Amino acid sequence: MGETKNEYRLLLPLLPFLAIVPYLALQGENTSTDFAWMIVVAPFIAFPIILITGQVYNKNETWKNTFKEGGILGLAALLVSLSTTIWIIYDYLLGSANIQNNDVTSWLEWISFDILQSDYTMAQNRVLGVGVWVDSLTLMLLFVATFLCFLICWFAIGYMTTDPINEDSNHRFFAEFVLFSLGMFGMVLADNFLWLFIFWEVMGLCSYLLIGFYYWKESAAYAAKKAFLTTRVGDVFLMVGLFILYDIYGSLDFAVVFDDPSTGIGGAVVDSGELFWALMMLFIGAVGKSAQFPLHVWLPDAMEGPTPVSALIHAATMVNAGLYLVARLMPFVDVHHHGVSGLEDFGLIVAWIGGITAFMAASIAFVQNDIKKVLAYSTMSQLAYIFTGLGSALYFLNIDEYYAGYFVLGASLFHLFNHAMAKGMLFMASGSVIHEVHHAHDHLHHGSDHGDHDFDPQDMRNMGGLASKLPITATAMMFGSMSIIGIPLIGGFWSKEGIIAKTWSAYFHGETLMLGPALLILATAGMTGFYMSRMWFMTFAGEPKSEVVDHVHESTPWIKEPLIILTVITAIGGFALAVLGIVDFLSNKSDNLSLHGQTLLDQIIYELEHAFLPEDMKLRLVGWVTIFLSFIVGPIMASRVHGGRLKEGEKANFLVGWLVNLSSKFGKQDVSWLAESQLSEALDKRLYFDDLYEGVLARTVIPFADFTAWFDRNIIDGIVKQIESKSVLGSFEIRKFTTGSARDYILMATVGALFIFVLLMGVSS
Amino acid sequence: MNLPINSSEAELIIPELIMLFGLVAIILIPNLGKANFRIPLTRIHVPVFIGGSRFKSTNNPKLPNQISLIIFISALFFGLIQNSYGAIGETLEVTQFSRLFSLIFIAALLLATIATTHRLPARVNVKPPNDNDSENISIKKIDALIDNRRQVDFHIILIMVGLGMSLMSMATHLFMLFVCIELASLSSYILVAFHKESKIGGEAGMKYFIVGSVASAVGIYGMSLLYLWSGDLSLDALAMKWSESESVDPLAGIAVGLMLVAFGFKVGAAPFHLAAPDAYSGASSPVAGLLATASKAMGFVALMRILVSVTMPIEGEAFWYTAIAVIAVVTMTWGNLAALTSSNPKRMLAYSSVSHAGYMLAGLAAIGSGLGSEEAIELVLTAIVFHLAVLVIFKFGAFLVLSLLETEGRSHRLEDLHGLARRDPLVAGSMFLFMLSLAGVPPLSGFLSKFLMINGIVNISAGTGSSDASSVIDWLTSVEPVFWLAFAIVINSALSMFYYLRIGLVMFFEEPEDSRTLKDAFSLRLAIVVCAILTVIVGIGPLSDWLLEMVAEAINSFVSN
Repeated sequence: MGETKNEYRLLLPLLPFLAIVPYLALQGENTSTDFAWMIVVAPFIAFPIILITGQVYNKNETWKNTFKEGGILGLAALLVSLSTTIWIIYDYLLGSANIQNNDVTSWLEWISFDILQSDYTMAQNRVLGVGVWVDSLTLMLLFVATFLCFLICWFAIGYMTTDPINEDSNHRFFAEFVLFSLGMFGMVLADNFLWLFIFWEVMGLCSYLLIGFYYWKESAAYAAKKAFLTTRVGDVFLMVGLFILYDIYGSLDFAVVFDDPSTGIGGAVVDSGELFWALMMLFIGAVGKSAQFPLHVWLPDAMEGPTPVSALIHAATMVNAGLYLVARLMPFVDVHHHGVSGLEDFGLIVAWIGGITAFMAASIAFVQNDIKKVLAYSTMSQLAYIFTGLGSALYFLNIDEYYAGYFVLGASLFHLFNHAMAKGMLFMASGSVIHEVHHAHDHLHHGSDHGDHDFDPQDMRNMGGLASKLPITATAMMFGSMSIIGIPLIGGFWSKEGIIAKTWSAYFHGETLMLGPALLILATAGMTGFYMSRMWFMTFAGEPKSEVVDHVHESTPWIKEPLIILTVITAIGGFALAVLGIVDFLSNKSDNLSLHGQTLLDQIIYELEHAFLPEDMKLRLVGWVTIFLSFIVGPIMASRVHGGRLKEGEKANFLVGWLVNLSSKFGKQDVSWLAESQLSEALDKRLYFDDLYEGVLARTVIPFADFTAWFDRNIIDGIVKQIESKSVLGSFEIRKFTTGSARDYILMATVGALFIFVLLMGVSS
Repeated sequence: MNLPINSSEAELIIPELIMLFGLVAIILIPNLGKANFRIPLTRIHVPVFIGGSRFKSTNNPKLPNQISLIIFISALFFGLIQNSYGAIGETLEVTQFSRLFSLIFIAALLLATIATTHRLPARVNVKPPNDNDSENISIKKIDALIDNRRQVDFHIILIMVGLGMSLMSMATHLFMLFVCIELASLSSYILVAFHKESKIGGEAGMKYFIVGSVASAVGIYGMSLLYLWSGDLSLDALAMKWSESESVDPLAGIAVGLMLVAFGFKVGAAPFHLAAPDAYSGASSPVAGLLATASKAMGFVALMRILVSVTMPIEGEAFWYTAIAVIAVVTMTWGNLAALTSSNPKRMLAYSSVSHAGYMLAGLAAIGSGLGSEEAIELVLTAIVFHLAVLVIFKFGAFLVLSLLETEGRSHRLEDLHGLARRDPLVAGSMFLFMLSLAGVPPLSGFLSKFLMINGIVNISAGTGSSDASSVIDWLTSVEPVFWLAFAIVINSALSMFYYLRIGLVMFFEEPEDSRTLKDAFSLRLAIVVCAILTVIVGIGPLSDWLLEMVAEAINSFVSN
């Protein structure tokens, strides 16, 4: 391709959209939360415009080159969303935008319905209102979602429109993209569980559409179906959970439910057993959406979608929805603030699911050779960390250890933030790698089909030594991987440390059942160090493993900027926010980000002390083991297997070059014996989960489906067909009366007249 | 000068006067010319303007159509703004009821005129064929010349139909009623046979005329018996006499029965409907649309006058209840069944309008059951009249689409509709809307009328079911049979879905036989789109309230009479 011409002039149409929020804000009388609807409505307007314009002006040159087949419009809508979000955050930090009891917006009041209550009377006129709920959790997720959606849309303009396979279908991509984004925005802003669920489903639909974007590819269509059906299993449970919640509280509004979770409808005391099942059902929904064990099977297949979709689903939006939902459940168990006691088991279950998923996903990631699959499993594993953290938070809050509970809640959400930023960047970086490798391959085999079918641009075994070819991508991926691994001082370190420490402290607190998750996530820390390093070394270090590498250039426009922005945020954002007390902020303990009256230096020292030298000696031990495993053991092992210097004459930039050279210093180790072992094969087959599910489904659901299909075909359709064929027969018979002869018509009229007389006389006599 | 009516009476019938003077105008204007009259024995030529070589402006073959359009548009306008009511002479009375029906008739005629502009085109610059023309071209030229020549004829007859129908809705005297019906009917027989050079058109017109005249004869015979019985044919006197007699006099009963035959033919009730499908398919689509909407509404006005105003007892069952109920069910089922396998869209629509007549007869039968309260009866009457009003929108809309197809070729095979969506998405979409509305799909206006009808009938029957019934079966066995009329409508609607949706199916999913785009008939297209929009907004929008209110007022004036 090699389009080096400057395309930034295309951004000029965005300027008016950029001006909307400052204009509103400077009006003085407007409060930001009154305009929160713009976050959702802007993409909602863009969606049909992109879709319809795209259909009408398909192949039009202006549409393609100036509007990037809708990409610019999507970017404009997301810009409005992003700037409104930033406005709300600004107001919130100043203390004027904290809304937890928003009124029903009147324009939706006409959607009202009567409800049949359990005593068979009708409750009149429940209004389905819509409002916004703004607290720190909302804001953090909203920022993550709007910011990443914006960057990914930017990235997608470069990634999608330069790929010939997407020719003339990108308007579909961008339309679905903005619809997906608005699903996430709406879900986060919703002020009741019903709207949360509605937007949740919007996302479900869009994930199906986007994963199956290349619907003509059988694997993509299959993956889309799989993702849709698997999350659907969770959604059914979620719906049941909402029914139980409604039964308990008589409302799904956050304002009503969270006002006093221990008091149900009509002042009844809430039974912890019933609430436990409601929470469990909601959690299963979250498990499906966030791809946790045992509903995790869809996520690796979801990599069939275009890479920006992977970034969107696995970093910015969908997988975070499950975490958001579980974090929203905190008030139910928070016994310090009217929560319902006796729900520790719920926390333990969440923690165990998290621990199992973290370990399992990390081990499967060991053997993946597809760069995106490694990232997919890494996502599962990292989300599992957050679930474990949320599980511990649920546990602590329920036994009234609210300080520890809030701390780990904050840490978990902080990890969500770090992970989203890092993973969004990693996916985009991997997209950059794939894109450039693919172009290089096309360039090399220009004009001939030969070799195109067996070459996989996502396979890391075709890469190696890319560090000097793709300097920005390599740097971005380096920081992203470090954040995920938890290299001290960078991004994810600050949050992951907190999660592991608090999970252990739950065990030390006397809950022996917490030992399992605690051990699992500790081991996973080391494994993360290995597989993330392996991925980076396989891709960027060592000698090139295929001839294609020589032709790779970092040349596609629109791709670099998001990588650079996110690299900076990943590298220093974690540290900066940790110093500003993000953990307290996210757990709603403090209302703003500040230094708590200390000097910057004091605060930094305090945070460092807290991270490296906690007072509790047991926790200090856990902390150092974590650092040792993830920082020393994992990466060094990976570098012994996959590390190595670049080819002669290739020079990478300072940071990356240093890391590549370092990787060659630990010697070489041959692990081919391990790669042929049964364990490796089992991991390669994803621990046979897919086979197991398929086997179970083949024995249970499919025979049942066959039966219902038979029933539908023969009984239901049979009856309908009988009616139809009999009607048609009757129709032919009755039309025989229409002979076409006026004589017959008059005869019939006479018969009719006699008939009328018989009826009239019969009645009157 | 002693006018037959005074000015205050004339104000009441402005639309009819417009049509009357229009009738004269449309005869005169195209004949204006440079004719002179030479005063005998002198050389003085006095211009008399009638006849001779015509002026350029009056020679325009498009002129009759334009005059007709002006007449109907102004009649519609004055009808809409008029709000004074009263009697005219002995035999006519303008009420909200008659005014509403006048509007229905005029609206249908206006649509027919618009469609005819393109269905029976007038071409300005047609020359007679000369020797150099091939046979084909000369036939075409002759056809075009014939079309030009008979423009005036068509529109004269069209206006006469309007005049007859409009006066008929005001008639308070049975004799007047019949004369007006015959004026409209005879004109419409001519319209059916108007394309007499095509075999099917002439045959259809003839058949329709024969069967129709037999029905009229029977009806007039019934009327004469009624006169024998009462000695006065004014509706008020008849009603008075009827309520005075304790049981039904056999003479009067037979008379009403005979009249039912005549009006049954007009509304297309089984088994008097058999000529209708032939007539619809033989006539041009604008005329068929007229038969399916205005002509049908005329029949219902007559039925309502006879059955509801005259012979309905104050309490208890009307003696015609069973007969009408049976005819209603037979009619709707017959129409739907026959439509099911009709492959000719016009025949299909004919049968569909037969089944719609069945639905409305079911409403009348429910009134005849004598079970309903005054409100329930008004509700059903409102439903019937509302249905007749909205039929003009969507049933005529469907015929407009067929007219558009006919301008280029034929529209008597289902294949002619194949792939219409690809040839012309707007027209096909409108047609689909019309079909859905005919089938009664919410939120279209056809749904509203059907809903009102079923609601009214169920309302009448609702109180009759045993209130302590513990199961559905118990209740169903205890409920009055009038409930089953509503049930029959529902079942028949389900059955009718099949053939309405088939039109949609072939329009959207079949390959067109010929992929040319349709003719650019602007006014016809505009009419189609306006009908489609009205179909929607009379179903759900503010217009539905407006129309319902108007119908309710009309029914009020009808019942209080």
